[in-house]
Order: sequence, then C-alpha cells, then structure tokens
Amino acid sequence: MSRPLVLLAAALFVLLGLAPLALMAARVTPEDLSALFTSDAAPLLGRTALYGLGVAALALLLGVPFGFLTARTDMPLASVLRPLGVVPLFLPPMMLAMVWTAVAQMRGAPAAYFVSALSTFPLVAVFAARAFERIDARLEDAARLVGGTRAVLRATLPLALPPALCGACLAFVFTINDFSVPDYVSWLGLPKFSVYADSIYATWRIDARAGRAVAMALPLFALTLLTLVPALALRRRGALASVVPDFRSSAPIALGPWRWPAFVFCAGLLAVGAFIPLGRLLWEAGGGHKGWSFGELATAFSMALERSRGDVRNSVVSALATASACVVLGLVLGHALERSRRARALEPWLVLPLAVPAVLFGIGIVVLWNRDATAALYDSNALVAVLLTGRFVVFAALISSGAVAALDPSLEDAARMAGVGPPRRLACIVAPALRSSLAGGFVLVFVLSLRELDATLFVPAANHTAMFRIFNQIHFGRDGFVAALALLLVFLIVLPGLLWSLFARKRLELLP
Amino acid sequence: MSAVSLDAVSVRIGARTLLDALTLEVAEREHLLVVGPSGSGKTTLLRTIAGLASPDTGAVSLFGTQASDGARMLVPAERRRIGFLFQNGALWPHMSAARQIEFVLEHAAVAARERARRASELLEWVELRGFEQRMPATLSGGEAQRVALARALAVEPKLLLLDEPLGPLDFELRAALLAKLGELQQRLGLTVVHVTHAPEEARAIATRTLRLRAGRIEDER
Repeated sequence: MSRPLVLLAAALFVLLGLAPLALMAARVTPEDLSALFTSDAAPLLGRTALYGLGVAALALLLGVPFGFLTARTDMPLASVLRPLGVVPLFLPPMMLAMVWTAVAQMRGAPAAYFVSALSTFPLVAVFAARAFERIDARLEDAARLVGGTRAVLRATLPLALPPALCGACLAFVFTINDFSVPDYVSWLGLPKFSVYADSIYATWRIDARAGRAVAMALPLFALTLLTLVPALALRRRGALASVVPDFRSSAPIALGPWRWPAFVFCAGLLAVGAFIPLGRLLWEAGGGHKGWSFGELATAFSMALERSRGDVRNSVVSALATASACVVLGLVLGHALERSRRARALEPWLVLPLAVPAVLFGIGIVVLWNRDATAALYDSNALVAVLLTGRFVVFAALISSGAVAALDPSLEDAARMAGVGPPRRLACIVAPALRSSLAGGFVLVFVLSLRELDATLFVPAANHTAMFRIFNQIHFGRDGFVAALALLLVFLIVLPGLLWSLFARKRLELLP
Repeated sequence: MSAVSLDAVSVRIGARTLLDALTLEVAEREHLLVVGPSGSGKTTLLRTIAGLASPDTGAVSLFGTQASDGARMLVPAERRRIGFLFQNGALWPHMSAARQIEFVLEHAAVAARERARRASELLEWVELRGFEQRMPATLSGGEAQRVALARALAVEPKLLLLDEPLGPLDFELRAALLAKLGELQQRLGLTVVHVTHAPEEARAIATRTLRLRAGRIEDER
C-alpha cells in the first residue's frame, strides 16, 4: 500500500475524528474533574451501565435465535425474514419510542429497555446469522456423526457465540450513549428515566463549559472503550475463525414440527420491531383517532414535504456526502489495517470518535470549527458531513478491513507483479472485489447519518435536518405531520438497501 | 551472468526464520525445481525473488542488477518484470480472461489497439481461443491456471516463478500444463524457478532440483 495515501487518509481522520476530542480534552481543568466526584455521577453511571447490560442481554436473547433460525434452518420464509431483520436497526430509536409509548402506554425505564432492545437485537442477529452460515459443512457433518443435531448445535454454537457477543457489545455501546430514548420517555411524564448521557447534555446546556462536559463524559467514555476493545477482538475472531479456503456450505437444518412456531417467533419479533411501528405512524398520518382517511394521509404527506423540504434535502445531501467520504477513507484505512502490521495500531484510535458520547463529539465539533477562519464551513451544511464522517468512518474502515481479510492477497500480488501501482491496485483490484462490502459500508453510514440526532443537537448547521425537525416537533405535540415526516425519513433510510436488494445479485455486507 | 543470485539472504517473521542465510545462483534458461516439506521456505524464496517479501539481510540480484540490499528494496516488485504463476491462479474475479491480460498490458504501456490482439494471441498460446469473455468463476481449474499462465507471460518476462501451479489439477491436466510449460520455456528462452510438492512429475523438464528444509538448502542435484 502506498505510504503517502495512507498518511493522507490518517491525517484526514485525525482532523475529522480526533482533533475535536483533543481540543475538548485540553479544556478540562482540575476543578472540572473534582466536580465530577461531588456530583451524583456514580449512581447515574451505575444505572446507565445496568441499562446497557439489560438491553445487551435482551438483544442476545432475541438476536441469537433470530439469526440462527433465519440463516441455518428450513423455517418458512427464512430468506425473506433475514434481510427484513435489519429494519428495526434502521429505524431511529426515538421513532420506536414515539410509537410504543403511545400504543402500549409504556413509561420510564420499562419503555426505555423495551425500545432499546427492539432497536439493537438486529445487531446480534446479523452477526450471529453470518457466523452460523460460515460454518463449514464438514464440521457439522463430523458433529452429526457423533451425536446428531444436538451435537451439531453444541459444536457450532461456540463458533457463532463470539460474533454474537460482539453484536451484544455494540448494542451495549449504542444503548449507554443514546440520549434520545431516555429523554423522550422522561419528557412524557413520571416515572422519569435519567441516564448518564442526559447529564452531559444538561451540563453543557446549563453551564456551556466544555471542560465540565468533558469531565462529566469521562466515565461513560471509559465504559464505552472498555466494551469496544473486546468487541473488536471478538469481531476479528468471529469473522475469520470459521472460514476455510475450500469452504462447503451446509444444508438447512430441518426443524420438523417446530418450523411454524419458529416462523411465528421471527415474524412476531419483526412485527413488534418494525411493522407495528410503521403501521401506527401510517395510521397517525391518516388522521388517527380523528378518523383515518386517504385524504388526511395525502394532506399530511404534502404538508411534510412542503414544510420540511429543505430539512429533508439537507439530511439526504449530508448523508450521501458522509457515506461517500467514509467509503473512500474507510477503504484506504481498512486496507492498511489488514495488510500492514504498523497500520494496525490505528484501530483503537479509529473507534475513539464512536466511543465518546455523541453529544460530546458534537460539542467538540463546535469548539473546533466555530472560528473566524472557518466561519463559512461552520455555517454550512458541509459541517454536518464533516461531523458525521469523523464519527462514522470507523464502520466503513472495519467493514473494509474485514473484507480485505477475506480477499486472497495473491490477487494484489499478481497486480503488483504486473507493474500496477498502489492507488490503482486499490481502485482496480481491491475495490471491485469488495464492492458488496463497500456498498454495505455506504448503506450503513448513510442510514446512521440520516438517523443521527445526539451528535447534531448543538451544531447549528445540523439543526436543519429532518431528524432534528422531528425531535423538535414531538415536544410540541404529535400530529399527522410528524408521523408523515417520520415515514418519509424511514423511506429514505431503507431506500438504498431496498435498491441494492432489487438490482444487485450479491448480498449487502453490512457488518464491521 | 546468473538470472537469479541470492547472497546470504535471511527472512524472518517475529521469532520464525523462513530463509536462513540462503545463497543460490540460477543460470539463464535454467528450470530450477524447488522441493521441500511445508514450512521449509519454498514460497518465501519465490516471494523474495519477486520482491513481494523483503529480506532482513543479504542481497538479491536479477540478471546482474541488484534488486535488494538487506531490507532496502532497490527495484520494487512492480518494476522487476517477472512472471509469477500463483498456486490458485489468483485470477481477478471481476475481469474476463482477456481483460486479465489487457489490464497487465495497460501497465506495460502497450497501445490500446495492440492489447486486444496480444490478449487473443496469448490465450491462443495456452489453447484457450474463444475464452476471451469468460469470467474466472466459469472456468475449470485447468482453464483458470492457463489464463493465469497467459497473464504471467504478458509482461514478456525473462524469469518465470511458479508456486505449485499444478496443485489443484487432476493428473491429465497436470501433464498437459507441464508439457505446455516445457514448450514455452524452450520457445521463449525463459528462466524458471518452480516450487512443487510433486517433483517426480516436473523432473522431466527440470535442469536441477533443490531441496529446502527450515530455510536452508538441504540437498541439490
């Protein structure tokens, strides 16, 4: 790999992802740190960790069976349910909270646990599904000769567990750093459910002191980092452990009389995580309690388009720019991570922007770019792409590095022997071979960018996005307009994945 | 003048020594067979000659030009003009048989009009006329190896490195490909360094056999 190219990519990452954090860290004073010990941070952190653990455990309980049943069994419609399984992950968690608190009258902690588990179980399911399908048929056959299906499960489950645990670690990280769901369920009334991310938000909002907010965030940052480090190790183990060069895939496991109960479990989970919320939004957009009609629905959608056209356009443009930048940057960094031992040291640094609470990263962006020299950028929509690229490039880089690990190095060697230089090898040999992973990285970053709220709360340029508009609007009452705008956003979120499924013959590789 | 000259070349990865102060001369037009157990350093030897692995110590020279001096790469792999036939062919999965060759010719600054003609000619050489638009996934093991051979020859190398090229093929295909290799070597005056697990098959076209063990030459005949 070309050293100047890697250095350029690394320098860009430092500017976009690490510089905001470095500037924030420099503002912490000893007073800020001592204030941490006098506040009620410890019990709040304990509650947040418990919340994250509870959600991760629920995600594991739901995700492993879902992944196994859809990837390895003869369950009816397994091939349809498997790709649909990612839809709850694509829906903004706040949207799920909006719906389920209204449908089931849930409040406080139970609502937050329920919504976050629904939102994160697909993380475990997709990791588990990929691991189960990558187990070589001969391994299963050897186990089957020893003790039938039971022995097969006993032999293969340990192979699928590390990736599933990696998904659970990510579910934990997403949950403890999420501000929107606890904020929304608390805003609805008693009982409140405060978490640590709330207190960081409040510290900045009340004091507007960056140092205090950073100090406040340090324990959460440490907790996140402590979770991401094993997640990365489990990812590496899970991605490579079960793949052999002359791989043979296994026949689906026959469930016998359990086929339909398995289907009910998977379809029910999808109904709760995606179809009921989307149906409820459709019902609200069409008039809801006042009486549903197509006329009302059309009015709500035309109002959403008319009043939020600019916000929707800003969201889409910045998400497209972010996804494109992340794919290019991620390809260079991901390739270097896998092929160069020295570049592997970059990996822990790559996760840092994701490890800090999103609210804090947003504040870091304000501190870094709110200057006279960069005023034009600060006021423009481009800053949203700058913010989101710094935060999400890790996903594109890890997806690329995982795919490069599975790419035969002799393909690149052959090009090198033919006199092809490093940038062209990357563009003409590596990138085409990795197209479904690059497309997966693009879709994942696009989705995460469209649904991001926490990191954008304090950035003025990001206050003109569809997600921010929904967040603002729900605090002033719910109506058909909000539901229609939410549905519009969901449509945009699922569109790239839908287009890929319809027109591409290869499966989208969404996993880091 | 030697085609390949290795002077006390050592390659280490961590605590493991892959080549241990290896000294070797390969004359022009020679077909050197390299055999030895797994992990003896056969593939590392080829990669070091090609410039894909850099030695820790020692010097590598090709046709009288020093290519590396210790860890310092004087001529990078992409400028050595060596043909390399990899164990699994290493065909680029997104390129047709003809495109594999044209892509190599592009980098040898061959004019666009000339590339298609040369690609067809090379495919004809390896008896794959009409396979121009076939993708790697649709080729049999033997066909894929012959496309890879055509691609390796596209740079008009004076030195061809073969890394167990017959491994995945059945007996008849192995015999056919070996015959083709022998014929090409004669016709093009190539120097060949050929790593194999099955020396008995290739001995007929080899001029010398070298046995490696633990990165050192154990036997030579």
